[in-house]
Amino acid sequence: MALLPSGLPDEVDDAEDLARFVTQSSHFNTCGVKPVAFLPDRTHDETSVSRHGEQPAERLWKMGAVAAGTRTLYGAAIFNAKTVRQTELVVQSAEPPDFHAAIRKWPVETNDPVSMKSRRLEAALVLASNTKFVRYQLTES
Amino acid sequence: MGSAVSPEATHVFKTASDVAASTESSVSLFGAKQTFISQLRALAYECSADGWDGDDALGLHPSALRQTEAFIRALPNDMPLPEVAADPDGSVSLDWIRSKHRMFSMSIGASNRFAYAWLNGASRGHAVFSFDGQSISQVLRASIMEVMSDGVTSFRAA
Repeated sequence: MALLPSGLPDEVDDAEDLARFVTQSSHFNTCGVKPVAFLPDRTHDETSVSRHGEQPAERLWKMGAVAAGTRTLYGAAIFNAKTVRQTELVVQSAEPPDFHAAIRKWPVETNDPVSMKSRRLEAALVLASNTKFVRYQLTES
Repeated sequence: MGSAVSPEATHVFKTASDVAASTESSVSLFGAKQTFISQLRALAYECSADGWDGDDALGLHPSALRQTEAFIRALPNDMPLPEVAADPDGSVSLDWIRSKHRMFSMSIGASNRFAYAWLNGASRGHAVFSFDGQSISQVLRASIMEVMSDGVTSFRAA
C-alpha cells in the first residue's frame, strides 16, 4: 500500500479518527458541534479534516493552530472515518499538509440547489451526531 | 367572621390578575424572539462581508436575513426557538438541538424555499419548505416538535 509523506497510508481506514477544527463560535454549543460546521467549502466543495484523534493533544492542537491561521481555534470535532461512509460521502487523503484529508462527494443537484442543500444537511447531521467535541486547550511545551 | 370583599370584587381581581399574567407571558415570549432577532442582527454584522470565516465564505445574504426574521416572528409562541449560525454559502443556519442524536437543522438562503433535515434517534430525513412570509405549515411544526419533545409528540400533522 502506498505511503504518503506523513507516513500514513494513502487510503483512509474505517477505524481512523478524523478531526474537524472549529473556528466559529456559533458552530458549537454545550451538546457538541452543529451540522453547519461540517458543510463543504465553496471553492473545492469538500470539508477539510485531519487524520488525527484526540491524542496526542499537543500534536492535535499544533495542527489546529495551522489550520485556523489567524482565526480563533475553539476546538476539534473528532469522529470516525466509518461515520463518513455511513452517509453517501467519502473521505480521501489530501496531503499536503501532512495528515490532511477531505470529505468529498457531497450531493449535487444542479437543477435544485435547495433540495441539494437539504440532502447535504442530512449528511452533516449524521456527522455531527457521531462527533465528540474537544475544546481547545493550550498545552504546555 | 364575614368577608369584607364582595364576589364581584373577587371576580374583578381574578380577571385583572389573569390579564396581568397573560401580558407578562406575552412580554416574555416577545422578549425571547426579540433576543433571537438581536442575535441574528449581530451575526449579520459579523458575517456580512465575503470571507467572514477567514476562508471563502459568502457574506450573509440580505434576503436570507429578512426571511429568517419573518420566519421567527411567524413561529407559534409555544414552539422552541432555534440557535442561529452563519453558513459559508451565505445562508442562515437554524438548529433545534435536543441532544446529539435529536437535531433539526434548517438553512435559509436567498429563495423562499428553505432546506431542512432532521435526525431523531435512528430516523432521519430531509425536505424543502416553501415559506409564504407569514405562516409555517403544520407538517414543519410537527417535525420540529417531534425532535424537540420529551418523547411525546404534542403536534400532529393534519
